[in-house]
Amino acid sequence: MGGIVIFIFGAITVLLSIRMPIGTFRMAGAGLFPLCLGILLMALSGIFLLRFLFKKWQSEKKEGSPSEIPGSVMQVLFFMGAMILATLFFKILGYPLVSFLLMVALLRILGMKQWTFNISLSLITAIVSYFLFVQWLKIPLPKGWLGL
Amino acid sequence: MLESLQHLASGFTIATTFYNLFYCLIGAIVGTLIGVLPGIGPIAGIALLIPATFGLHPTSAIIMLAGIYYGAMYGGSTTSILLNVPGETASVITCIDGYQMAQKGRAGPALAICAIGSFIAGTIGLFGLVFLAPPLAEAALAFGPPEYFSLMVFGFIVLSNVTGTSLTKSLMMAVVGLIIGTIGLDPVTGDARFTFGSISLLGGIEFVAVAIGLFGIAEVLTNVEKPLEMLEQRVIVPRFRELYPSLQDLKKSITAIIRGAGIGFGVGLVPGPAPVIATYASYMVEKRISKHPEEFGKGAIEGVAGPESANNSACQSAFIPLFVLGIPFAPPTAILLGALLIHGVTPGPLLIGQHPELFWGVIASMYIGNFILLILNLPLVPLFANILRVPKKILLPLIILFCITGQYTVNNSVFDIGIMLLFGALGFLMRKWAYEGAPLLLALVLGPRLEVAFRQSLMISHGDFGVFINRPISMVFLLATVLFLIIPLIRMTFKKTLKGGG
Repeated sequence: MGGIVIFIFGAITVLLSIRMPIGTFRMAGAGLFPLCLGILLMALSGIFLLRFLFKKWQSEKKEGSPSEIPGSVMQVLFFMGAMILATLFFKILGYPLVSFLLMVALLRILGMKQWTFNISLSLITAIVSYFLFVQWLKIPLPKGWLGL
Repeated sequence: MLESLQHLASGFTIATTFYNLFYCLIGAIVGTLIGVLPGIGPIAGIALLIPATFGLHPTSAIIMLAGIYYGAMYGGSTTSILLNVPGETASVITCIDGYQMAQKGRAGPALAICAIGSFIAGTIGLFGLVFLAPPLAEAALAFGPPEYFSLMVFGFIVLSNVTGTSLTKSLMMAVVGLIIGTIGLDPVTGDARFTFGSISLLGGIEFVAVAIGLFGIAEVLTNVEKPLEMLEQRVIVPRFRELYPSLQDLKKSITAIIRGAGIGFGVGLVPGPAPVIATYASYMVEKRISKHPEEFGKGAIEGVAGPESANNSACQSAFIPLFVLGIPFAPPTAILLGALLIHGVTPGPLLIGQHPELFWGVIASMYIGNFILLILNLPLVPLFANILRVPKKILLPLIILFCITGQYTVNNSVFDIGIMLLFGALGFLMRKWAYEGAPLLLALVLGPRLEVAFRQSLMISHGDFGVFINRPISMVFLLATVLFLIIPLIRMTFKKTLKGGG
């Protein structure tokens, strides 16, 4: 799977590079270096895919491939989702509110079921990080609705 | 030689000013914390704290960031010994005998010997750095664009060869990093490349975002994927009076420490994840020459002393290619290169002459930092061990919040947080598909320099590729590159022949 994605990435690089000025090796244009890299990446991923397919074909002849141990992918997706939402609302809601809500969500995803403990811990984290970054280190973090 | 010692003395004067001592102390403590905490290694740790150094003098900034680097290496061994969980990849070897010692109630001597070994190795590494860097810098003045290009290609190939399980996969990652490095304005013509009309992309991809994403967020996501019950861990906390090693322990360890320091220093000069290779090589050497090899794996103190000294020594000598050539050979020094550039300091052969206070100040501070680690960290071991008791389900959200806040402070940009999350997801998938992040990050940092060196070389030679092999230094690097590419193939063919014959 990884090899295919990288091959496609290389092909897209080549396609986008040839739209830029290529120039000559003596006077290279903006597209020459990425074009060379794109071709090199396609070649490397092509070799990798061929070797992978050959190995797979050989191992299938001998025995079935071992199955992967399933992990909690949903947990990762929820985690990523919470981080993306926090990023999208970072400026609108402001740092103190986003840090609180993000902590609540992430703790909940990781199995912190007691709401009182979850909310108290998130609130303490949000307050401490606000005083650490905004008040003490004077970092201009977004103020958002609360105006803090 | 005498001149170097004089410069070193002036370096100590700079490093012992109140501010520099303070930042060295902060770096060493924060580094140890980063090393102890799972989910955040030296790469993400240094990257995260670069914004905190913006208001500092470049010397103080690099002193603090370098402190984080070797502090993290020290902290990594604490988790290896107490938990059997390596804080860093370089501490994997320490787990073997360190954890066995802890199981036998000898966690204290194991931790103490780590600190003593690191200090002695640091001292040896320091003298190597002092005497080797200036002559190497003079030699590097003969380097032109073709030499730099060949050296960087050599670095990529060696790093790809020694990281991960597959050379092809690592090379692919290096090329992906180089392509990502081309995003933004063309360094020669000024044309916009792969920006898709976005103003945020004109300056290129922020390497700090990539580093935190690939090494910080991805590590957290990998932990999140594990079943919840696996997020809890048992911690052995040694008492303070148990920390002292016996005379016999010291006797057994001293030669292993000196050997480890020598191996580490040599390996640190070569491209690749030096501390990892150095610890592995040192462990193998100790086991081979030991009179009691059967004790290795069951709590042999030499199995902790040698690798830990090699680790520290390799970290120190890794600064030589960074300072002298301006080319980092490993991701943590690549991040330090970025930090130097942010502070308006361009490392290279002229650094020692142009910024002597920075070069000698940082070197002297590394020695002081090692001393701080020795006297401060041993009494603090119980505290660090208690930090490990914080459940991961609380620790992981805190790391994420710290990563997001830290990333925003680099450029006050939400877009950069997005890039960090994108690379976090990418890093998570890369771990699942067994791709290494180190070649990608190194290529991203060095990519623009490689491209400029490549294009300048061809301009000089009027488009003739012979420029890379007609110049002796460049040819040597390219020959070495070819050798590194061929060796695995020969090894594979040899193994197949042996298998067929057997």
